[in-house]
Amino acid sequence: MDSFRQFLMTSPAPLQSLAPSLWLIIGFPLLGALICGVFGKWLGRANTGLIACCAVGASLLLSILAYWAVNDPTTVTGSQHAFENFRYAFGHDYGTWFQVGSFQVRFGLWVDHLNGPMLLVITGVGLLIHIYSTSYMSHDAGYWRYFAYLNLFVAMMLVLVLADNLVLLFVGWEGVGFCSYLLIGFWYTDPAKAWAGRKAFITNRIGDFAFLIAAFLLVLLSDAYSRQATEANAPGGRIDRHRLGVVVTTGPLNFKAIDSMARGLGTTQGNGPKMSLDTVIQEGPLKGRAVQGVVTAILLLFLLGAAGKSAQLPLYVWLPDAMAGPTPVSALIHAATMVTAGVYLFCRMASLLVLSPPAMATVAIIGALTALIAALIAFAQDDIKKVLAYSTVSQLGFMFMGVGMGVFWAAMFHLVTHAFFKACLFLGAGSVMHGNAEETDIKKLGGVRKEMPWTWLTFAIATVAITGVLPLSGFFSKDAILHGVHGTHLHGLEWVTNFVWIIGLVTAFCTAFYMWRLYILTFEGKRSAEAKIPHAHESSAAMVVPLVVLATLSVFALIWGLHLMTSPSTGKSQAIFENFLAPIFANTDRIIQGTGNLVRHDSPLMTAYVVAILIAWAGAALAAVLYFRFFPAWRAAGKPAPAFASMARGFAVAKFKVDELYELVIINPIKWSAKLLYRVVDSLLIDTLVVRGVAWVTYQTGAALRYFQTGDAQGYAAVMVVALLAGVAYAVWGLGR
Amino acid sequence: MNGVPINYYLYLAAVLFSMGMFGVLVRRNALVVFMSIELMLNAANLTFLAYARQRASDIGHVSAFFVIAVAAAEAAIGLAIVIAVFRNRGTLNIEEIRTLKH
Repeated sequence: MDSFRQFLMTSPAPLQSLAPSLWLIIGFPLLGALICGVFGKWLGRANTGLIACCAVGASLLLSILAYWAVNDPTTVTGSQHAFENFRYAFGHDYGTWFQVGSFQVRFGLWVDHLNGPMLLVITGVGLLIHIYSTSYMSHDAGYWRYFAYLNLFVAMMLVLVLADNLVLLFVGWEGVGFCSYLLIGFWYTDPAKAWAGRKAFITNRIGDFAFLIAAFLLVLLSDAYSRQATEANAPGGRIDRHRLGVVVTTGPLNFKAIDSMARGLGTTQGNGPKMSLDTVIQEGPLKGRAVQGVVTAILLLFLLGAAGKSAQLPLYVWLPDAMAGPTPVSALIHAATMVTAGVYLFCRMASLLVLSPPAMATVAIIGALTALIAALIAFAQDDIKKVLAYSTVSQLGFMFMGVGMGVFWAAMFHLVTHAFFKACLFLGAGSVMHGNAEETDIKKLGGVRKEMPWTWLTFAIATVAITGVLPLSGFFSKDAILHGVHGTHLHGLEWVTNFVWIIGLVTAFCTAFYMWRLYILTFEGKRSAEAKIPHAHESSAAMVVPLVVLATLSVFALIWGLHLMTSPSTGKSQAIFENFLAPIFANTDRIIQGTGNLVRHDSPLMTAYVVAILIAWAGAALAAVLYFRFFPAWRAAGKPAPAFASMARGFAVAKFKVDELYELVIINPIKWSAKLLYRVVDSLLIDTLVVRGVAWVTYQTGAALRYFQTGDAQGYAAVMVVALLAGVAYAVWGLGR
Repeated sequence: MNGVPINYYLYLAAVLFSMGMFGVLVRRNALVVFMSIELMLNAANLTFLAYARQRASDIGHVSAFFVIAVAAAEAAIGLAIVIAVFRNRGTLNIEEIRTLKH
């Protein structure tokens, strides 16, 4: 065991060669996108698929190397590519990207324990989905376009994850949004699908706007910090020069700088730098505001940005519509990777987040409400992909709950396990659609189990995993969040804990219910009379193998959730993944201890486990009873439901009319004001007065002057003579006077 | 300064110029218009030379030679145009040649 452990913790290559090559992880998929996009038509289907898969495969290999190397404590600490105060992290600085005055952004990539697992998920699940796509998209005319977009997406997602500063992260953030837009509207000849792409893009834009404002505020805050946390403001105190130095040398938006600043701000007592959360900023545009308020504002704006990308409460509406894209895209972008960017962002800036309990509470409450509402909507959806889409929104809500309550490791753990089982579910759904003539209505499927044994098996495993039944990974990750939420109190906002926890439990119940409903209606019972084709067929090996791998992963990821390690600081047992992420959140924990913003207390783990298991089984059992006995799909109509039930169902089917509400409150006023602007400014002022006005004046002048042009040379000569005489007369008599 | 005073030269030049201008503006035959233009050019020449003589300067003479050269060139091209127009239209009546309109 020890030698195995030693093997895992020995870097496979020296950092001097590994760290400067980090860009290759991004470079391979980017090259693949270029080749597929430019030469894909000439290369043919098989070659395009091969190149795309190889590009992601090469990226996966490099990611494994990087992940391996980052676990090696000796090489990492001794190298020039390592960072002081950051254990288990290395990176490479490729130079200054741009610099304006003292503000600079550097082009740097890094790997640590937080983005290491992300790298593996993106490239690993990405590779599986690429392989799956070679079969799924084999008949599509735009396969080369598809693989170019998919590779570009993987590259952009890797930029997002590898970036060591917010600006580079934003490049990836926008890049994945753009690829998501391209892939949702992949079948752009269908106007509804093209619209879905646009909806996703516009909704994300609102979030991105908030993200940018937050980044600008952060720059201002950092500026104030480096100006005020100086010796002049700390009579008798000691300045942590190192911390200030990081902010100055790496630029204010670097994550290490943000971490250092948060650490400096979070130290209230002792002889740390004399700028804390209560300090009033003395210079700049933020003059006169307390740091605490600015931090909260920054975090809330980041929350809006993350809500756009990760489909949280005000901005989640784009994700269900994003199912218009090809199913593997839904699995990769809208379940496993892109939508988790918001969770990643907050975990990356955890040390900043814990400075503000109100912001944390908002994040947690938004997550909880999103989880609940999406789960409720998922009850009544009949489209297999729509159910999974709302399920994704709901599970992302869980992750936000965890982030908001400071259980960062559990949120990341759920992110990883969710990537496995939700990708498996989506790919399984794609396989079902593929074998049933693109039928997506679960009421018109049924009994697929016997005809598609592999799809059935993997889908069932993933369903068990997401439900949170004991031995699978979903149980451990979801329970880790719920347990962590239950054991955490926010300073001054103690009620949030129970609120979020109870909603979390209810949502867990709902999750079990809608997932089992989906599973039973699709796979169990008899085949529906309305099915498009009488017999389904199992998909090809290229589609089944990724399913099997993902199902296996969603079982074995549970290892990370086992409480086998002991915490070096408290001495208590902790989950492997928690132990693994501990170096990342070490600073965060110190800030928590310093400020007292968060109180963690132990609650018995076993009780939480029992509650979680009971809830999962209860939801599943309810679904089983209802859909086996009362509303089976294979019976044509089922029993007529009571009036209130059908009303509630109708409301849920209509997705709680959120889209309609947005239409009424936001979109229509904007449309009307746009129309007004169009009529008055564009149509009247610009078009009529300015553009056509100039033309009209010119035309009329010409029309009037036309009468002078007779074509008679002698007439022209006469005019010249008269003018000449007038000139002479002026010269002779006019000037003399 | 002996001989004829400069005034007479200038009067003559003015009369010649006016006659030429009158011809250009009034006559219908393109050839006659041409001859009138020559008349105007020569009136200008006469003015140049008169002043050159009065001021004992060579610049006036030089200018006169220039004008003669220009007049020769103008006559060559102009007559060619006149012939071309006559071949095309069969007339030299200026009132019927109004293509400058378009």
